[in-house]
Amino acid sequence: MSILIAAFGFGLVSASVIALAAVGFTMQFGITNMINLAYGEVMIASAYIAYYVDERGVSIWIAMLIGAAFGAVFSFLINRLIYSPFQRKGTSLLGMVIVSLAVSLMIANIMLPIVGYFPVSYNERFSNLLRFGAIALTVNQIAIFALAAAIMVAIHALLRYTRLGKAMRATAANPTLARNCGIPTQRVIDAVWLITGALCGLAGVVAALDSDSFTISSGAGFLITALAAAVLGGAGQPYGAMIGAVVIGLITELSAAVWSPDYKQVVAFAILVVVMVLRPQGLLAKRGAAAAAG
Amino acid sequence: MNTYYAANLLIFAGVDIIACIALNLQFGVSGIVNFAFIVFQAAGAYTAAVLSMPPDTAADYSFQIYFGGFNLPFPLPWIGGAVAGALLAVPIGLVVLRNLRSDYQAIALLVTSIIANTVINNARPWLNGAAGLALVPQPLQDQIDPATDTYFYFYIGLTAICVGLVWFMAARIVNSPFGRTLRAMRDQELAATALGKNPVALKMTMFIVGGAIAGLSGAILVGFLTVWAPSTWLYPETIILFAAVIVGGRGNNLGAVLGALLVPVGFEEVTRLLVNLNIGPPNFIPAMEWVLIGLFILGFLWFRPEGVRPEGHKVFPEGFESGVRVLGEHD
Repeated sequence: MSILIAAFGFGLVSASVIALAAVGFTMQFGITNMINLAYGEVMIASAYIAYYVDERGVSIWIAMLIGAAFGAVFSFLINRLIYSPFQRKGTSLLGMVIVSLAVSLMIANIMLPIVGYFPVSYNERFSNLLRFGAIALTVNQIAIFALAAAIMVAIHALLRYTRLGKAMRATAANPTLARNCGIPTQRVIDAVWLITGALCGLAGVVAALDSDSFTISSGAGFLITALAAAVLGGAGQPYGAMIGAVVIGLITELSAAVWSPDYKQVVAFAILVVVMVLRPQGLLAKRGAAAAAG
Repeated sequence: MNTYYAANLLIFAGVDIIACIALNLQFGVSGIVNFAFIVFQAAGAYTAAVLSMPPDTAADYSFQIYFGGFNLPFPLPWIGGAVAGALLAVPIGLVVLRNLRSDYQAIALLVTSIIANTVINNARPWLNGAAGLALVPQPLQDQIDPATDTYFYFYIGLTAICVGLVWFMAARIVNSPFGRTLRAMRDQELAATALGKNPVALKMTMFIVGGAIAGLSGAILVGFLTVWAPSTWLYPETIILFAAVIVGGRGNNLGAVLGALLVPVGFEEVTRLLVNLNIGPPNFIPAMEWVLIGLFILGFLWFRPEGVRPEGHKVFPEGFESGVRVLGEHD
């Protein structure tokens, strides 16, 4: 029993990491209508930027901020230079999926000769262990949990109470109507890519810190868990992604405790399949993966 | 240029042509973005391998673990490979193609591809895990010595026959009323549904047909290579085939053949030449090759989305709506 309680603690940490990634991913889709398959590669690129900063002896928490800033600028540029022109040209949703996959492939292979195949890890990956009954977590893990919780509250406040957040929701609901009401949708979309890019970069560094080491090929795994959480919650729904992250984080860690840690991604995938068969629109969505609507 | 090099080139070209025709039937003609294509090729290759290999208890084979090992004579392993590709298409198609939006279908298939590779890579008892299968018997190797030029000519001939068969079948599908129905569904799914066509059944059919052809291509490949491992079917391999079909011309079988010769075969040869030059770090050239494939996809989608060989004559060039307009003018 105590192993399950311990796994519950790990599950909360996993959920924090997944939530950071999934909320950014789902906001990109919900507001800019872009399934960004390069998301995992931007995460891993940011993780490497933080790694090189960390190697210079800078604290990981500052490196994390630099990673997030890099993710923001990088995502913004990808959208401005590639996605947005293709969307303006009238490329179909399917075409955009192919475009983003090509971008993902290019990022991974531009990085490969620079970073190499070998796994790397941050200097601060070990920290003191704190015990709460059967749950034992490191200081890093508690910091990750607190950080993710704070960011989720901040996202909630942004979407609910600020002018920018309201403009984002209006753009997500109906871009043409939003523009006609005087909302500068282009600037809103730029802001979305900067914010979600920062989340993506932050999530990359946090995910890399939470796993002992990471390689260039970790990006696909990051993408799959973020995708699973986003689809489970209902694509385009930030609150759905948060719920999805908690569900997937807890289930994967519990399955790792009772079965095998090798198959965490497979469990996430199994959840994804079940959702796609039984409730393709996701837990919360008004619109989602279901066909028909057009 | 020796015979081995020529055989290598021709057989790879044949396999890539078969794969591109299958992908064109799914992606170009029917509009199914099958990002898991390479999984079907792998299913065919693994099936052909375990059907032709002796059980893993046999002498010389005991260093690997796999299920089956049926020692079947050629051509049963190749037929088995095609059947395996078709059978695998049924469950995947039932989950993915039934009630998902088309862009979700694409990402669901991509995730399927990544996960299938992870599972086979980690689970050793089924198909020998990351090390993969080796010493796969070659077709008719007891009759003709595989180390001779005669065998290379024989294998090139076999591949050519398969290319011919697949081409014939694909041409029949594309030019038939069924092919027109598929294109109608791809361009205007709602309109095709309104005319009584069942898009799910049509997509399932093409998913299974494409899966069978992909399985056959895998069987041909493994019979020549004699080895097959998870590292040979990572998901970027599917992207190369997509690049080929996009470059060649979506919806046009001849375009698919041209794309296969330009992208997978052409790139393979160029890299082979460039690797000898020793530019940059060891993995620099292969990595830049992938970047170039990405650029090819983006460049063609931007400048020439219809590809080198476009699909050909359309009655209503701008799609259904302009067709309605044209019809309206005649009234």
